Amino acid sequence: MWELIRANRRKSIALFIVMGLMLMVLGYLIGEAYWPRGGGVGGLAVALLVWGIWSLVGYFAGDSILLKSSGAKQVTPDVHPQLFNVVEEMKIASGLSHMPKVYIIDSPAPNAFAIGRTPEKCSIAVTAGLLAILNRDELQGVVAHETAHIHNRDIQFMTYAGIMLGTVVLISHMFLRSLWFSGGRSSRYRSRSGNRNSGQGQAIVMVVAIVFAILAPIMARLLYLAISRRREYLADASGARFTRYPEGLASALEKISGSKEDLKTANKVTAPMYIVNPLKGKGKKLANLSSTHPPITERIRILRSMAGGAGYADYQSAYEKVHGKKSSVLPQSALADKSAVPVLIPGQEEMAGAGQKSSRREFGDVVRAVNQYLFLFCAGCGLKIKVPPEFKKKQFPCPRCKTQIEVPLAEMATVGAVLESVDQGRQETQKDYDMVYRRKRSEWESFRCNCGKTIQLSPHFSGNYLDCSNCRRKIKIELPQI
Amino acid sequence: MDCVNCREPMIVLEVDQVEIDYCLECGGIWLDSGELGILLDDDDIVAEFLEKPVMTNHVRESERLCPECEKNLNELLVDPDNGIYIDRCADRHGLFFDRGELKQVIGLFRTETSKKVASLLKDIFRGDKID
Ligand SMILES: [Zn+2]
Ligand SMILES: [Zn+2]
Ligand SMILES: [Zn+2]
Ligand SMILES: [Zn+2]
Repeated sequence: MWELIRANRRKSIALFIVMGLMLMVLGYLIGEAYWPRGGGVGGLAVALLVWGIWSLVGYFAGDSILLKSSGAKQVTPDVHPQLFNVVEEMKIASGLSHMPKVYIIDSPAPNAFAIGRTPEKCSIAVTAGLLAILNRDELQGVVAHETAHIHNRDIQFMTYAGIMLGTVVLISHMFLRSLWFSGGRSSRYRSRSGNRNSGQGQAIVMVVAIVFAILAPIMARLLYLAISRRREYLADASGARFTRYPEGLASALEKISGSKEDLKTANKVTAPMYIVNPLKGKGKKLANLSSTHPPITERIRILRSMAGGAGYADYQSAYEKVHGKKSSVLPQSALADKSAVPVLIPGQEEMAGAGQKSSRREFGDVVRAVNQYLFLFCAGCGLKIKVPPEFKKKQFPCPRCKTQIEVPLAEMATVGAVLESVDQGRQETQKDYDMVYRRKRSEWESFRCNCGKTIQLSPHFSGNYLDCSNCRRKIKIELPQI
Repeated sequence: MDCVNCREPMIVLEVDQVEIDYCLECGGIWLDSGELGILLDDDDIVAEFLEKPVMTNHVRESERLCPECEKNLNELLVDPDNGIYIDRCADRHGLFFDRGELKQVIGLFRTETSKKVASLLKDIFRGDKID
């Protein structure tokens, strides 16, 4: 597997260097065009400085900026236990050392992305709309694809390439604009200098700079997209391998592409990070050159053509079958891995919502859970009641049967505490947990942590662990024995 | 969501896949058009239903604001005999009932689709003593 990551990196680094060279040439030419004799070095320095500063910002805050700008909120396992289970499974399947943080984006448009500096500090974000329409196998396919991006070290690389692209676009744009406003002045300057030869040389430099400033952003964008498209195929292949069930991802992609919803929080920089291009209708005409993703129908067809197995070689031959030519889409080292990966036939569990009604409801509930609503059930009549976080009463009568319903305010506080401890990143050490609590039943119940702190469990809590908000002990929660 | 009437945070009641926003302070109920859509399964019927409660031509702008669009709700006189008004968003985002009004309004539902809503509301608020 390390071989694969290295090969993936080598290929991308070549493209990365080309982009870097373009940035340097651009800076040099612009400097030379404005300040003949020596200005080129200054221009080069400015271009590199801009890129360096942006890279530093990107390195230290890039993931949180992008997560915030896409409206993602970090969540605890009780918000969507199934999602956490799937992420945990894929973490193990891919051999990641750390559990990715889990974010949910409050949008009905189904999509997902992964981001992070290193595999130790990485996050997976999915939209509430995605959770509403996918069944477990499909969700697993999507999470596997995102885990693959983390595993293949794509995310960090894409961030840098994105920043480089941004710098090239910005500098070209500023240069061309400045010409627009000061074009007349610079030609007057040249004629006054009197030296015809140097004036002519200067004009040539200017023309070259202009041409390059127009072409560079286009070329950089194509390169960036070439990198990102390649990585999509590889992530699909790795995802299929991790789940050993290509159909899960195929059917998820089919459902996602069928959605008409637009993801409002996506933009041109973040678009290539999503599993499916979130900007619908744009860039369809130049599908092959300028689209952020390979055509989704093609990705689905490749996954569905993986009849024999779920390994890299199977993906490669399916790709060739769909394309009808012998071009390699995966790194050689992946293909060298000839070990057979049989396709799993998963149990038909929990097929997706019975229809629009329940998927709309599920979407609403995920959004509420993200926004820290409490979900209560009346003991008298079973009425489901959702209480917003700003609700301050300790108890109230059920509107249907008048039974008093307790609002476990402690739980609301716990949610905050768990969030914090999730934020600090779970330390997965040899010793997996500090104490065990076995649930009596799947209802509201409270127990005492060894430090004396009382901890409340909601009926919905189905994570495997909980952190005590007081002493930070990691408590393993076991299911009731039936 | 805050109550249209008293601005307290409303709780959400879920029955048979339908959600109803309910204020524990004043007993007010907000039914949004999306919920009516789930309930009635047909956008045309929803539109019709949102028009139905008007028993007279009396429509007056009230002080209350729609939780969705923040525009003034319209007061509709649904029962001239008992002087019962309900509030409706001019852009049909939903209906607001004050405490007790609902039970009286339920009695006014006549059409088949309206009866469907009535029976669901009755189920939720079967213990609601009008006081
Ligand atoms: Zn991807
Ligand atoms: Zn009850
Ligand atoms: Zn109220
Ligand atoms: Zn409105």
